[in-house]
This record gives sequence, C-alpha cells and structure tokens, in this order.
Amino acid sequence: MSALESGDPLRFSESRALTLGVELELQLFNTRDCDLTPVASDLIDLIERQPHAGDVKPEITQSMLEISTGIHDRHDALLAELQSVRNTVVAAADRLNVLVSGGGAHPFQHWSERRIFDKPRFHQVSALYGYLAKQFTVFGQHIHVGCANGDDALYLLHAMSRYVPHFIALAASSPYLQGVDTAFDSSRYNAILAFPLSGRAPFVLRWDEFRTYFERLRALGVVESIKDLYWDIRPKPEFGTIEIRVCDTPLRVETAAALAIYAQALARRILAERPPVTEDVYLPYGYNRFHACRFGLDGELIDPMTRTRRPIAEDIGATLDTLGADPLAPESEPAFAVLRRMIGGAGNDAYWMRSTYQIGRSLPDLVFRQAERWRGRG
Amino acid sequence: MDTLFFLPSWPPHVGSLTMAALVLLAALVAGEIVQRVFKLPRLIGWVIAGAFYGPSATGLLDAEALHDLQFIMHVAAGLVLFEFGQRIDLGWLRRNPWLAGTSVLEATLAFVAVFLILLLLRVSPPVAAFAAAIAMATSPATVMTLARDLRASGQVTQRVELLTALDCAYAFITIGVLLAWFHAEYHGDWVVMAAHPLYLIFGSSMLAILAATIARPLLMRLDAYGDVQRVCAFALVLVAVALGEWLNLSSALVLLGFGASLRALDDRRRFVSLDFGPLGQIFLVLLFALSAAALDLSIALAGAITGIALVAARYAGKYVGVVLTSRVSGLSTRKGSLVALGLMPMSAVALVFVHETVTVFPELARGLLSVLVPALVVLEMAGPLLARFAFVRAGESAALA
Repeated sequence: MSALESGDPLRFSESRALTLGVELELQLFNTRDCDLTPVASDLIDLIERQPHAGDVKPEITQSMLEISTGIHDRHDALLAELQSVRNTVVAAADRLNVLVSGGGAHPFQHWSERRIFDKPRFHQVSALYGYLAKQFTVFGQHIHVGCANGDDALYLLHAMSRYVPHFIALAASSPYLQGVDTAFDSSRYNAILAFPLSGRAPFVLRWDEFRTYFERLRALGVVESIKDLYWDIRPKPEFGTIEIRVCDTPLRVETAAALAIYAQALARRILAERPPVTEDVYLPYGYNRFHACRFGLDGELIDPMTRTRRPIAEDIGATLDTLGADPLAPESEPAFAVLRRMIGGAGNDAYWMRSTYQIGRSLPDLVFRQAERWRGRG
Repeated sequence: MDTLFFLPSWPPHVGSLTMAALVLLAALVAGEIVQRVFKLPRLIGWVIAGAFYGPSATGLLDAEALHDLQFIMHVAAGLVLFEFGQRIDLGWLRRNPWLAGTSVLEATLAFVAVFLILLLLRVSPPVAAFAAAIAMATSPATVMTLARDLRASGQVTQRVELLTALDCAYAFITIGVLLAWFHAEYHGDWVVMAAHPLYLIFGSSMLAILAATIARPLLMRLDAYGDVQRVCAFALVLVAVALGEWLNLSSALVLLGFGASLRALDDRRRFVSLDFGPLGQIFLVLLFALSAAALDLSIALAGAITGIALVAARYAGKYVGVVLTSRVSGLSTRKGSLVALGLMPMSAVALVFVHETVTVFPELARGLLSVLVPALVVLEMAGPLLARFAFVRAGESAALA
C-alpha cells in the first residue's frame, strides 16, 4: 500500500495483494457514570508524548478515538501491534481516569448530547447531516485488504459481498442503544443505513468504469471524495485497498485481528479460484444483511449461487473448513480458532453483552465491564 | 373587633418556613431572569435574591429568621456534599499520583499566599490563618451546580471536581487543627491539640464508612423504585448530618466521605444516577440564597481592598500549584490554567459550617468575617463566571456546544 503519489485521487495506488490494515473506532467514557466523555484530544495529546506502536487519531466526536495499525500480512504481527497500541491507549486513559472500550454503539448515550470534534470537516459533516451526524456516534472496525490493481479491487469487493453477513454477525456488539435492548445484535448498522450514500457499491468490475461512475456522481455534486461514500465495502484507491466497513468494533483486539485474518484468507481464496461474479450476488443481499444484524450468528443466510439457506454460524463453519487448504492456514489458525469458538457456542460480543448485563442489571455496569474486557480482563 | 374574629390579623404573621418559601420563589425568578436575560449562571440570581432579603439589604429576613432557618442550610449543605462525594473517584489518585501532588501543592500555596498577604495587611495571625484555611477550599455547591447545568464532562471538569473535594477535606482538617491550636493557646492543653484533629479525621471517616455500609444494601433493594430510593437516600443524609453534629464531628467531612464511600462500595454501578431530583434542587436554591442573605454587606464595602487582595493571592497560589504540575499529571498547561480558573468559586456556604465552630471565640469570628465577607462577595459573582468560562472554553459543556 503506497501512499498517494500523484495528484490524482482516483488513481488506484498499487499495493501488495492481501496485505492488511485495521482501524478501530473506540468509545471513551468517564468513570463516574460511564457515559461518553469528550476527552479524545487530551488523550491523544498524552499518547503522542512518547513513541508508540500504531496510529492514534481523532474522529468525528471528542468521545471517539480511532486507532490503526501499519501494514501486515501475518496474524501474529497484526495481533501484537493491536495489543501494543491497546496497552498504550489504556495506560494513558488510566492517567486521565477515562475508560476505553470496543462495542458498536454506546448503550445509553443520548445522541443530542454529543460534542462534535473541533475540525472543519467534522463541522461540515455535522451541518450537513444534522441529527444523523450525532446519531452517527457509532463505532466500527474497518479492515483494509491490499489489492494489486483497481480491477482486482472491484472484483474482490463484489465477490466478498456474499460474506458481508459473516462479518456483521461475528463482530456484532451493539445490542443496546439509547438505554434499551434493540433486539438487534448490531444496531449500529441501522444508524449507518440512514445515510444517503450508504449501502453497496454499484456493480462495476473495471476501474475505469468505476472512475466514470464516480466522476458522474461528482459532476452532479453528490460527492466530493471517496470519503463521502459510506458503502459496506468501498475501494480506497489512495491506499490501494478495499475497505470492509460493516463490522462493529469488537470488544477485544483478539477478535478484531481474527476478523481481519478471516477477510485476508477469504480474499486469498477468491483471488486464487476466481469464481465468476454476477450482479445476482446482490439479490438476497439486503435480506442476508438484515438477518445478520438482527439475529447475529443465529440469522439465516441465503446463498445466491447455490440457492440454499442455512444459519450464518453454519455457513461460517463451512467456509472456515474450506480455508484449511490455504497455504498460510497454519499461521492463521489461531485466528480461525477464535472464530470457531464463537460459532461453537461462545457467541459474539452482543451475546456476551446481553449475558453480562444480567450480572449488574445496569447499563453503566455493562459499559464498565466492556472496558475491562477491552483491557484483556473478563 | 371580636365580632369580626374571622378576618385575618394585621400585620400578618410570617413564619420562618413561609419566609423560606418566599425566598425560594424570589430566588427561582431571579435565577431565570439572570439566565435568560443576562446569560449568566442561574445561581448568581439565587445569591442576589438571597442577599436582597437579608438583614443588610431589605431586612425582610431578619437575623432571628435566619437563625431559625439554619437547619435548612445544614441539611442542604449535607445533601450537596453527599452528592458531590459521589462524583469523586479516589481511585484516580492511585492511577495518577501526580494529582495528589497537584492538590497538596495548590492548596498549600493558596494557604501560604493568603496567609502572607493578610499578615501584610495587618490582619492578626490567628484570623489570617483561619481565613487562609477557608480560602484553600473551593465551593462544591457551585462547582456541582455549574457542572450539572452545563452538562459538563471532561478532563477540566473532572479535575476541578476532584481537587474541590480534596481541597474541602484539607480545609476542614486544617480548621480543626487551628481550632485545637487555638484551644491550646487559651488553655495550654496540648493533649487536646493533638487529639482534636485526630478525632475529627478518624471519627468523620469512620462515620462516613459506616453510613455507606448501611446505606448500600438498603438502596440496592430500592433500585427499581427511583423515587423511593431517592427519598431513602435523603433520609439517610439527614441522619448522617444529625449524627455528625451530635458527635461533634465535621458534618462536612462526614457527608463528603459518605458520598465517596458509597460510590467506592458500588461495585455494580447501581447508584451512578442517584441524585435528589427536584427535592435536591429546592435545598440547593435555598442554600445559596440563605447563605448569601446572612452576609453582612456593610463589612464587604469596608474591607474591599482586603477582599480583593485575598482573592488575588488565592488565585495566584492555586494557579501556580495546578499549572506547575499539569503536564506531569498528563494535561496540557493550557487546560491546567483552565482547571485553576475552575477552582475559583468560593461561596458563603463555606461559612455555614465554619461559623458555628468559630463563634466560640467571638473576637476571632468578627475578625474572620471582616476578612472573608468581602472576598466572598467578589467570588459569589466572579467564581461561577470564571468556572463556567473554564468548562466552556475546555469544550466540555454539552449544553452550550
């Protein structure tokens, strides 16, 4: 993944295929009542005093922190960097009496109370989207997968869409929103769907076609940059990657690393086998996605090609079995093991949150325990 | 005349509770006017309304009535300190020991600066020492009211709250020590001097922990019934205030400790949103208004220079203490200076507790008031404005964002 070299933002930078990068949006809250607290700039200020692994950036609100990794291709190195940056953030947060956690949404925060980060772009977003911008205080994991060229990126993007429900269900960690159990495993995703440019990418398979499409959108004044597209999977020409954006931020970095490795293994198999992709892949897309958000791993998945339906957990299990033949399978095995435990009964983070809520029967208590889990305890 | 017995008597007899209600009404109206018309914090209106009623203004509320209403101020101060204690996370001191350093340094410097400037202005050493001890403290009632009204949350707010709680504890302990010293001067009894502060500190902490231990299971069981839980907590606070007074402990330390211990014992975070609701609001408004009513404004004018000098010295001490240690405690110097501003509020509420203990020595009490009242008059107005400026400038107010 090379940085942007020319002045053309739509030129697809070449990057080594199947490299990975992970971004995690984290929640920051106070220890008093476990509500979100606007402390991102103080936290970043403190973290940046010393050299550290990973990258730490402000996001749309002051109560959100984004951490990201460098470029990886192996599970152990990716996980090690995630753990290291997590430890850095937690140590700094302790000094400021701030709790940090994953989770797709804050369980009881009311959107009207969020403060928007003091940066021109964020103020623009806020002015444009009104209440949506504040409701957009949701926290996701973004997985970047490196692609050799733009055509590969688009092919991979559409072929991967069949697996989008896997990622939603495995990462789901936002069952509670504004103080109630939403009945969804991932309520975060519904917040994103409210945006005009959310959803899926148009079915084009060649980069020059995509450019034309994008230029037309831009000419109409619909978008200014790729950043304005909140698609489930979007190309990121600047990095030479596709970016999977459907995951809630998991409660532990181990899960985050496992999801990234799963994406890499799927991409590797898809690019090696090159199964044909038609627009039919999107026929059951909305249905599958809804099931994954609503029911998590217990949801149902319809395969557009084989026209079979089965529980998402079962579909993930079957997919993991086929990935065993992957040449990098031994290295990735610890990541696959994490996912197997989840589908084998341990459940996703939404399941953990619902059972943990029963201990204290208070949402602030749940938030506190989420922060403990993020630390690597509980 | 007797034939018209059913007609009301004239002039009407106004009982002290009725007076309190009238003060409450005036304060609420003034608070809204001050907030909506002048965009100032409500509590400034409460204070102005109270002062208007007081003996040194219209005298609608005379010294006798004020004396009758003392219990309301005690209850109200107890409620405020309990709630404030609940907001304090002493575990933070363990995770960031530099904050303890900040609080000790900032309080000590404020004490020293005020003490010295008063000596320079020819105030007698005992009076200067007591005034300096009281000046170490920041008004928890003011800080909490502002933080709640602004829905402020963030580093500056949290640090101001923590330092305010610690400063109050230091102030009450120092006053205890000074009293003991004063006793010793008069009676030459050094055992008393050593024993009194120890009794104050240990007795108050023990009572606080005991109260929290009893309160926790009780409040837990009333969890699902918000209002019942609230009223129960209210009653517990009243009992704790009464016990503290009976045992000659510092009620302020007891209630602050009660709140903080209850929070520390709350391992399932069941009481995080425990407050006294409208009930608490009634007492809070009365606390500000009645304590302002008690201020003798004629002293304020006479001692204006001393008052301003005290305020300046106090600010200098706190500013240097907080700013010197802000970077090592993990905060930028800019935000550190905002924390120092947030520590400025001082209110006549401070006198509610001190007054009684000190009145044993009338001369001391008179001297103390002549020094403190002018400073309080300045800070009742300027304190909330400075603190609000600090919270808003730090970007921590949700209400004004």
